[in-house]
This record gives sequence, structure tokens and C-alpha cells, in this order.
Amino acid sequence: MKEITLTINGKQVKGKEGDTVLDICQANGIDLPTLCHYKGLSDVGACRLCVVEIERERRPVPACTYPARDGLVIHTHNEKLEKYRRLILELLFTERNHLCAQCVASGDCELQSLAYEYQMDNARYPYSWPAFPVDPVNDYLVIDHNRCILCGRCIRTCDEIVGVHTLDFGYRGWKDMVIADLNQPLGKSSCISCGACFQVCPTGAIFSKSSAYKGRPEECQKVNSICPICGVGCQIEALVKDNRLVRIDSPDLTDNRGILCHKGRFAILDRKHERVNTALVRNSRGKLESRPLSEAINIAAKKLAELKARYGNNSIAGIASSQASNESLKAFKEFITGTIGSKLIDTLDGDIYRTIIQGINSYQDKAELDTEASLEEILKADCILVAGANPLESHPVVGAYITRAARQKRAKLIVIDPTQNSFAYHTTLWLKPKEGKEALALSVLTKATLDKGSKKGSAQAKKIASPLSNINVRQDSEQVGICADDLLEAAETLGKARHSIIIYGDGILQNKNPMLITSLLNLAVIVGNQSTGKPRIISLKPKGNSRGAWDMGVPNPSQSIMKNLTGNGVKALYLLLADDYVDASELPNLRKGMDFIVVQSSYLSSATSKANIVLPSPTWAEVGGKYSTLDGTVKSTSRLIKSPDGIKTDSEILREISKHIKK
Amino acid sequence: MAKVKVATVWLEGCSGCHMSFLDIDEAIIDLAKVVEFARSPITDIKEFVPVDVGIVEGSVGNTEEEEVLKELRAHCKILMAWGDCACFGGVCAMRSTFDKEEVLRRGYIETESTYKGKIPCPPGVPALLDQVKPANHVVKVDCYVPGCPPEPKAILYALNELLAGRIPVLPSDMMRFD
Repeated sequence: MKEITLTINGKQVKGKEGDTVLDICQANGIDLPTLCHYKGLSDVGACRLCVVEIERERRPVPACTYPARDGLVIHTHNEKLEKYRRLILELLFTERNHLCAQCVASGDCELQSLAYEYQMDNARYPYSWPAFPVDPVNDYLVIDHNRCILCGRCIRTCDEIVGVHTLDFGYRGWKDMVIADLNQPLGKSSCISCGACFQVCPTGAIFSKSSAYKGRPEECQKVNSICPICGVGCQIEALVKDNRLVRIDSPDLTDNRGILCHKGRFAILDRKHERVNTALVRNSRGKLESRPLSEAINIAAKKLAELKARYGNNSIAGIASSQASNESLKAFKEFITGTIGSKLIDTLDGDIYRTIIQGINSYQDKAELDTEASLEEILKADCILVAGANPLESHPVVGAYITRAARQKRAKLIVIDPTQNSFAYHTTLWLKPKEGKEALALSVLTKATLDKGSKKGSAQAKKIASPLSNINVRQDSEQVGICADDLLEAAETLGKARHSIIIYGDGILQNKNPMLITSLLNLAVIVGNQSTGKPRIISLKPKGNSRGAWDMGVPNPSQSIMKNLTGNGVKALYLLLADDYVDASELPNLRKGMDFIVVQSSYLSSATSKANIVLPSPTWAEVGGKYSTLDGTVKSTSRLIKSPDGIKTDSEILREISKHIKK
Repeated sequence: MAKVKVATVWLEGCSGCHMSFLDIDEAIIDLAKVVEFARSPITDIKEFVPVDVGIVEGSVGNTEEEEVLKELRAHCKILMAWGDCACFGGVCAMRSTFDKEEVLRRGYIETESTYKGKIPCPPGVPALLDQVKPANHVVKVDCYVPGCPPEPKAILYALNELLAGRIPVLPSDMMRFD
């Protein structure tokens, strides 16, 4: 990049060709006021606060959109410019209803800070007092158009960083306002509630219901961490006041895994489920009553030791939720397989793990989970196949990545799903096989792709082709309920792609059919990926730390414990739920005849109601821990808040029980 | 030296600015040595006499307030605005986005606790203006102390500046709109 030299305020400074005047000012420590500029977004010159004077220009120009050239002579601060800037602030304040005293953003508002800086103690212009609507329909966000300065940051963030482009300007002139889709209420639009617009809004126009009035940033402590909720592993910056989470922000929206979603940004601020604050022990009348933790640990240890001695090690089974941290899971594994000596250990999502493992094994013995691509590869893809997944629901950041690739890179998006397609606006092709015909549909697609593909002759292709030899694409596509032309078009698109990626999730995994995984892997091998030569595939695993639990071997690779709890002489169950709120449908059939059930959980649920002993777990925010992301990197979270008094970590409790049993 | 004469008026506002002024604590003793209050809610004197400094708290929302403010301006050499209402319209101006009739109806008839309400209209009750205005949109204002209410130290700073013969402009770190 060519270096250029400019004169700013009488000083020679250097920059690169392609920089804007604002870029060079900022790089050289010259402070220009801005409102519509935001790091990582394109510049539009909406607010005009960064106006500068450039010699030979007839009028002041906004620095953010003015391309720097060699030899420019620029003045950034003089009486005239400062007068203009204050004038712009006065116009902004009188254009809409900026009443700081009743605004949620007061004290955290860039417009207000600039007004303070420019000592704007009155506004000379007539106030227009418009009556704009307030849109409170979204679960987490409110848009108060009366406080909007039309800087467009939210719109550009939604478009350029998140990629969804729900927001844009509607109307003209005085009536100009930010709208969602074709002027829908935000809560009924294509908005994914990621909250990035809220983070970038310089005023109180977009604010969060979960954070409002809980505390101003200057009163809060900032803690950087990782969100462990779904396994994407987004970076978060938590604002904490008086041991309460006030707000979750992204430390840098433009960074990898920086955009966050409604689960990580908002849902964790509103704890809906009732907490387990003390240990609970079932008394002689059959009611759970609270007891000191040490006493509950004692009772649990005594009972477990007794059952172990009487019925043997394998009379006690252990099931963990993959939402627990690596530390908790490690302690759990040691406890069940070591202290207890039982082989009966599993995770709640163990069946899904076994489905994937079997699917991979029958495809190629040597292949392991590392065929999985990193999530950032989605952004580089030119063809994305989403099979039986609703990432916008389960892993919203992945969903945003897919949308962004489809919109910004014009990646072809093919969805295979009998029922749902959350990418309706961006899908090139939606193949809807009849329910139960997914496996055949994938085989037909693989066959069609093989026929069109460049790798037709390779040994690998032949190996894959042989079991598919009796498939007739035209006939069989009718049978699975997909129009043959659509299927052939999909095959052609996949065949032409240079960087294709296959993403599958719940819809495939819940079938618990390993053949589906094998078919997807076959397809991935045929389609290939010309940049790496490896098949690229991403499985959207059900829980936040599924990958961690699986990598550590908590679930048994071949045997399902959950299904076989009954009738195998299992007398006791130890359930480690940690901070996972487990719905009744997710639970194993807790056998009525089971002698003893210990549940370690942060929340009261249908599982704790069946327990003999409930031990309190801290939530992830209350202890730091390690979690593995979907694509297999291990990330550490930090402790954000203190847990309620008397609560110990999962591993501490498990080790204490161990100690008692070993005595 | 003769004392500086000050008059203050409390228009559409909550008196919070006057309270904040009284909150300057012991500084009020020194101030009383050099300042004399004429018309003010503090002295409860109602008549206007010519003064050096006029101070206005509150915004202008009806015809009476408009008249009082104009009279204050006519009787003072320097006019200072206290608080967000006088400087910008403030909380009182929230009604400006609605029609005057709508506001009266909501206040006197539709209020949840009102039974058979009616809008009062005896002669002599000042009429609401269509929109609430800050002081400088009615008369010339010379200096401003924004805040809701302004910090006592900001009020004291502004008064001391005036006593020193300067027109005060609050430094950035004393500015606040809430």
C-alpha cells in the first residue's frame, strides 16, 4: 500500500492510500467527535460531526468519508468548526425528543457526552417534538424512535457485521426512521435478537429490557469471558454491579465470534428458573427439605457406599449434562468410574454422540471428529448445505454466519429439511423430503452429485458409488418427495462449488440414525473443498459443552446407559445437571423402583423433584471453567459473579463425596 | 458595597433547582453577605423590582408563565436559566408531543382515579400553550446551568462567576442533563 503524507493542523503525518481522513486523524491521536462512525462499519457521513477544513475544498467536509490523498492540508479544530459541531448537536437535540432526565441511556449516551464536551447548555432552534412510535414487541429489545439520531449504525451493523439486514431506513425527510423488514414490529420481523444494534446505538433509541435501569457502565465492573451456552464460544464482556449481571456486550463486534446472540446477551440476565440454593434431602414424610450441604453430602456418600457394597459397582449409574464445564465433567468421570467403579456413565446427549460416532465409523475407519470445520469457514464458503438444522434457533451465531455468507458472498444455500427453513429469504433451494425419507434423499443427492461431479473416477468416489448403484435419481427423487429437477440443480450447485460446507443439526441427530451421518460425510467427500481438499462438515451439537464431554469420553461410545437404566440391576443414579435446566422430555425414565437418586443442579426442575438428594450447583457465571467449542477449541470462562452463600463447585462436592465413600 | 440584587422565579418545574441551590450548604452564609434576594419563592415576595440578576427555574407551559418570565426579563440585567426545564424544556416538555386537548383530557378525565372529571375552565386560569418552551425561546437568556436538578456546586460556580463579573459557561465536567 502506498504511503502518503498529509499536513494536519500544521503537523506532517503519514497514512496509507485508501485511508480516510478520519482514519489518519485517529491513527495520529487527533480526536475528532463522531457519532455515525463505528469501528468495523462502512462510513456514510450521516452525523457530520467530524467535519474538517481541507485547503482548496470550498466547504468543510466529513473526515470519515473523505479519502486521504498525498499532500492534503487539513484543519480539524478551529473556532469555525467547533461552532459548526455545536450547531449540529443543537440540531440533533431539537430534531427529536431527547429528554435525558427520563432516558434509560443517560450517563451512557454518546450524544449526551458530546453535548457535555461542547458545553451545549441550550438549543437555539425550535423543537419539533415529533410523536414517533415506540416498538416494544421484541422479547429483549425496544426501539424508541423518538431518541434516534438516524446515524444508521444499527442498520450497518445488522447488514455488515451480523449479516441479517433486518433493519434499514424507511420513509423520507422528517419522517425518516429505522424500520425492520417492510416496517414490521421488530419482534415480528426477521430480527434474530442478537442485540448488536443495541450495543452500537449511540443514544437510548435501541435499549434492552433486561439491562434497563440496572446500572450505568461507570458503576459497573467489566469482566471478559466466554459464553458457554451453545458451544459457539463467543467472547463476552460482562458488566457487573452489586453481584448482579447488568449487561453483556461483545468486546469487539468485528472479531471472530464477536456478534453474540439473544441467549448469551439477554437470556442469561433474566433467570427464569427457581434456583437450588441449599442442599435438599427427602425426609421420612417423602418431602424434600433443606439441610446443610455437609449433611447432605454425608447422607449421599453413606447411601452410595452402602449400595456399592451390597449390589456391586455397576448398581450405580452416572449421567451428566454436557452443559457442565470440563472440570465438572472430569470430576464426574473420576467419581463414577474411579470412586464408584461403575461402567455405567453417560451424558444426556450420549445417544447423539453415539449416532455421530457410528456414522463416522461406518464411513471410514480412520476418520474422526476432526473432519469438522471451524465456524469461520462458513464465512468463506460459496455453497452451504444445511441439513435438518435450525441454527438461528439452536446456535444463532452460526445462523448469522450462514445468512451473512449467503447475502454478502452470494453463497448458494441449500436447505434439506422436511419441515423448517429459517433462511427462507436467502435459500437458493429448499429440498423438502417426506419425513422418514431423509436418508434416501441424501443418497439420491449423493448419487446425483457423483454423476455430475469432477471426482467421478477417483477411488474414493467409486467406493461411495458402489452402494448407490441401484439408485435412479429421477425415480427415487419422486419417491422421497423432491422434484427431480430441484435435486439435480442442487447436485450441480454442489458439484460446481469450490468451498462447500455441510452443516447438520437437530433434525438429523434426533433421528439417531448413523446412516444419515454417513451419507452426509459421503456427500462432503464427493463435493470436497477445493481450498483444503478435505470434506468440510459442521455438526450442531445439542449442548454447550457436548464437544468437551465427548472429547473427554464421558459418554460410552458403544453403549447407551440412559436407555438401559431399567432392569440391569441399577439401584442408584447420580445425575449431574450443573446449570442445565432439563426439561422432562430430555430426562431418562427415572425408574420408580430406583432406590436412590442424587441430582446435582443449579435449578429446580422435574429432575430434582424426583431426587432423594438435591445438591446445589453454581451456574457457569459463578465459577470459571473450561468449555470446548463446537469445532473443538477449549476456551476458558471467567467468574463473573459470586454464587449464593454456601454453594460449592461441582468438582468440590464430587470430591467430598468421594472422600467419604473411600473412608 | 451595595448587595447584588437577585430575583428568582419558579415556572413549570418541580422546585428541585431551588432546592439544589439551598443545598450549597455553608456557602450560603458567604453568599448572603453579598447577595440580596428580592422576588423569589424563597422570600415569598411577589412584586418585581429592578434587580441585577434574574434566575428562572422551569419551562414555559402556559400564558401566566410566559408573562412572569417576560416581566422578570424586563426587571433584570442578566437572566440565568436553572435546570433542564428552563434550558431545554425538560420533563415538562414531554407533553409537547401530544395535542393540548389530549393532555387535558388524559389529566382531568381519563385518569384512572378520576370519577366524572371535567376540564377546569373558570376565567383566570391561564391557558396551556401548544408546546412547552425553554426560557430562551421566550426571552433572551444570558447564561445556563443545566441539570435535573443542577448540582449545587454548578449553581454555586455560576453564581460566583456572576459575582466576579463574568458570564458563566459551565465547564464540561459540571455539565449534566439528568
